[in-house]
Amino acid sequence: MISKSIKWRLQLWYGLILVAVLVGFGVTSYQLERNRQFRRVDEEMHRRVGALAQQLHGPPHGRQAGRQPDPNRLPGRMPEDRPPPEFGDDNPPPGGGRGAPKFELTPQLAVLFGTNVPGNFYFRIHLVEGDHREIARSDNYPDRPAGGPDLDNFFDPQKQGDGHAGKFNNPPPLNFEKDRVVEDVLPSGEVIEVGCSIAPELRELDLTALKLAGIGAVILLLGFAGGWVFVGRALQPVTEISATAAKISAGDLSQRINTSEAESELGQLAAVLNSTFARLETAFAQQKQFASDAAHELRTPVTVILTQTQMTLSRERDAASYKQTVEACQRAAQRMRKLIETLLELARFDAGQEVLKRLNFDLAKTVADCVDMVQPLADERHIQIESDLKPLEMNGDSERLAQVVTNLLTNAIQYNQPNGQVRIKLAGQGGLAVLEVADTGKGIASEDLPYVFERFYRADKSRTGAGNAGLGLSICKAIVEAHGGTMEVSSVEKSGTTFIVRLPLGV
Amino acid sequence: MRILIVEDEPDLLASLAQALREEGYAVDTADNGDDGLFNAEGTDYDAIVLDVMLPGLDGWEILKRLRKTKKTPVLMLTARDQTRDRVKGLDTGADDYVVKPFDLEEVFARLRAIIRRSTNKTTNIVEIGEVKVDTAARNVLLKDKLVDLTAREYSLVEFLALHRGEVVSRTQLYEHLFDENESSMSNLLDVHVSNVRKKLGAEFIVTRRGHGYCIE
Repeated sequence: MISKSIKWRLQLWYGLILVAVLVGFGVTSYQLERNRQFRRVDEEMHRRVGALAQQLHGPPHGRQAGRQPDPNRLPGRMPEDRPPPEFGDDNPPPGGGRGAPKFELTPQLAVLFGTNVPGNFYFRIHLVEGDHREIARSDNYPDRPAGGPDLDNFFDPQKQGDGHAGKFNNPPPLNFEKDRVVEDVLPSGEVIEVGCSIAPELRELDLTALKLAGIGAVILLLGFAGGWVFVGRALQPVTEISATAAKISAGDLSQRINTSEAESELGQLAAVLNSTFARLETAFAQQKQFASDAAHELRTPVTVILTQTQMTLSRERDAASYKQTVEACQRAAQRMRKLIETLLELARFDAGQEVLKRLNFDLAKTVADCVDMVQPLADERHIQIESDLKPLEMNGDSERLAQVVTNLLTNAIQYNQPNGQVRIKLAGQGGLAVLEVADTGKGIASEDLPYVFERFYRADKSRTGAGNAGLGLSICKAIVEAHGGTMEVSSVEKSGTTFIVRLPLGV
Repeated sequence: MRILIVEDEPDLLASLAQALREEGYAVDTADNGDDGLFNAEGTDYDAIVLDVMLPGLDGWEILKRLRKTKKTPVLMLTARDQTRDRVKGLDTGADDYVVKPFDLEEVFARLRAIIRRSTNKTTNIVEIGEVKVDTAARNVLLKDKLVDLTAREYSLVEFLALHRGEVVSRTQLYEHLFDENESSMSNLLDVHVSNVRKKLGAEFIVTRRGHGYCIE
């Protein structure tokens, strides 16, 4: 569930990125702080190395101890005339100094070292070659545990190739547990080792790390909370959309999504969905209306059958009454059959399943045949049919189109006045066949006109005549539209109605 | 009891009319709205069976116009059973409705009910001394024994029983017992009255000379 929630996934990725950024930032800050602390310590140590070197050999010749090496001064060429340094009080140097320089810890130097000096700096000076004889060491020089790094041999010039000790000047300091040590090899062959305790720095760094971690955690928490709120707000329309969609799927098609944020992407989505829902609602309403109308049309014949049979069966009848009843039932059943067939036909057109038998034929001849067919009906009502038909080759389903023409003609005769006229005209017009059927009937009221092609719509509400369920024009329209044509109607009340069918010739 | 049926489907109209005649009602018919309204306004029917969808004036319109002059009970026949259609019918002044397709029995029962209500009766049984008239079963009991009456005789008893205490004129009786197709031979009514008196007792129907008949 959580892994499928966009909110949680966004939050997870967002959180991961935030953690990465915070860790990167924290580590960098820690490193910078650490470097700053150590650089300060290192500067202090190098200063002391310089002071020791100066004490050992006098002022440097244009250089500071631990800085630029003098390439002319090679190791081993140490001044022999220097007095040996004085060693610390109770820490005599091991062994004697063969040609070793003298060292004396002056008071000026002493303030730089010792346990009471902040940082607890200490030093040790020994020769780089031979037995690494020690020249001097401070009182607080720590005893390194056995197995620790071999500082004596650490800067073995033999190991470093061509013996240029100068390249070891200003070497990187090293950390031993809570101490930091720098060693410098003087050109004269002595190694000055200066160290100090960095316990306070380490403590401070630990504190810094803790602070960074704390700040990071707070930022992460705030980020998560903020992210949660923002993601929630950003996804709010999605929640609304899904809630609305759920209501719609539950059957309430009138629901719409609030599109107040129409300018955002989700607003556009909501607008698209809303228009889809509107179309769905219309389609469903039409479908519902259609089903309701169909049921309604079936009610009357069913009622006829029920009342006829119930009435007849209520007592013994003579044969003639039974015959009458059966005939009435048959009429009702025929009416239902016609209705059902028409409905199925319309449904097939709707579903696009009605296959047109497309052939090339002369539309004028088809229309003329239809006129001949309805002629008896017209004669019966003393209605005159005037035909004006231009031969017109077209491609289409001649039977279906004949159905349209017959239907229009029958309507024109049925809704005409006695001794009225029906005019039927067929002509080509720029790739279209234009068929006009006009009557001289009472016309269709303008408020009914937009609905005449709607299913079950009857302008006069009359039910007389089986099969007149108000579906004839709907079928005509479906057939014409299946041919890619259009159908329209115009009417003047009390003077007549004209139907115009336009069909692409398709040849 | 005389009833008008307004219905445009000929087979339905015919079967309804015949069925109601066989139930003992006098039945007039109209197959379009205009004739229906004309009949309904011109005659005092005991009830009108009115279809909604009609050529010419539709059922709603007939009802609306009829209610300006008459309180005749109206039973609507509707093909739509949606609430708004029923509400519209009842609000326009219909007394009841049945939805197509219906059973004849239901139409009969609803007709009896609206007629009963229009005569301010609450039950189907009217007791007159030792005579009981059951308008639901359409029969008459004398001392709890079924009396054999013809449909027309029963209608006469029923009409007078429902208007108990009122003097019913011969014209009224003709209007309510015979439909428009029957010739109103004046002695036909006398024959029925005399037959009823033979079966239920001479004093059951009182003659008010110059006014009509009465059940007291």
